[in-house]
Amino acid sequence: MTADRLSATFAALADPTRRAILARLALGETSVTELAKPFDMSAPAVSKHLKVLERAGLIARGREAQWRPARLEAGPLKDVAKWIEQYRRFWEESLDRLDDYLRKIQAREKKRGRKK
Amino acid sequence: MDERNNLEEFVITRVFDAPRDLVWKAFTEPQRMKEWWGPKGVTIIESKMDLRPGRSYHYAMRTPDGNTIWGKFVYREITPPSRMVFVSSFSDEAGGVTRHPMAPNWPLEMLSTFLFEEESGKTRFTVRWSPLNATEEERAAFVAGHASMQQGWGGTLDKLAAYLA
Repeated sequence: MTADRLSATFAALADPTRRAILARLALGETSVTELAKPFDMSAPAVSKHLKVLERAGLIARGREAQWRPARLEAGPLKDVAKWIEQYRRFWEESLDRLDDYLRKIQAREKKRGRKK
Repeated sequence: MDERNNLEEFVITRVFDAPRDLVWKAFTEPQRMKEWWGPKGVTIIESKMDLRPGRSYHYAMRTPDGNTIWGKFVYREITPPSRMVFVSSFSDEAGGVTRHPMAPNWPLEMLSTFLFEEESGKTRFTVRWSPLNATEEERAAFVAGHASMQQGWGGTLDKLAAYLA
């Protein structure tokens, strides 16, 4: 994914209403009218948010002219999750190595202690 | 602790079968950091530390595929042997602050806290992290990543996890 596309993804995610829309879409695809209900927003306002989400690649829209159901696209979020996963792995593996290191030097000190 | 309550904070805890002083030393002596810091397969090729508030630890890792990645901690608080607060970031050879090499929207700097607690001869180590001076976009990147990794956004998005899995 390009950096531009990622910037669009994060700009889209920065808005709490759009995050709420994604939350709703995580339950399944739905129409603009259905989406507008819980948000106390007009259909055109919801459509505007959907356009931003669509540009960011976070959702896809159906082709039916009247209904155009929106559904979640997992790709961009997976990329972001991957970075956090990298950090987690960085730390877990570092701490595994630290555990080995601490065992090693303590065993060494013990041995030295016995020789005295 | 339920980490879902605070998606802007990332926490990892580990208990080491070692006295607290020794664990503290492993984090505060550059020669010792060289022995273990970084994921599997990585070699620390530079490890320069000035353990004082306002000063820094500057390191370089050689990855298994031959790349060199620089990183930096700028210390804010050092309370031996129990607590350390610092700002961590990616870096370059000159010690500047740089972006995540793979992720331009990743927060530039992370506020990091290390806690070292004694637990009947063992040591409980905790690292906590949160984005520092982040823009809305950077915070969203962090929260979205954290949330989707934790399977569900703040509890209301449990289904998202299943979808993403």
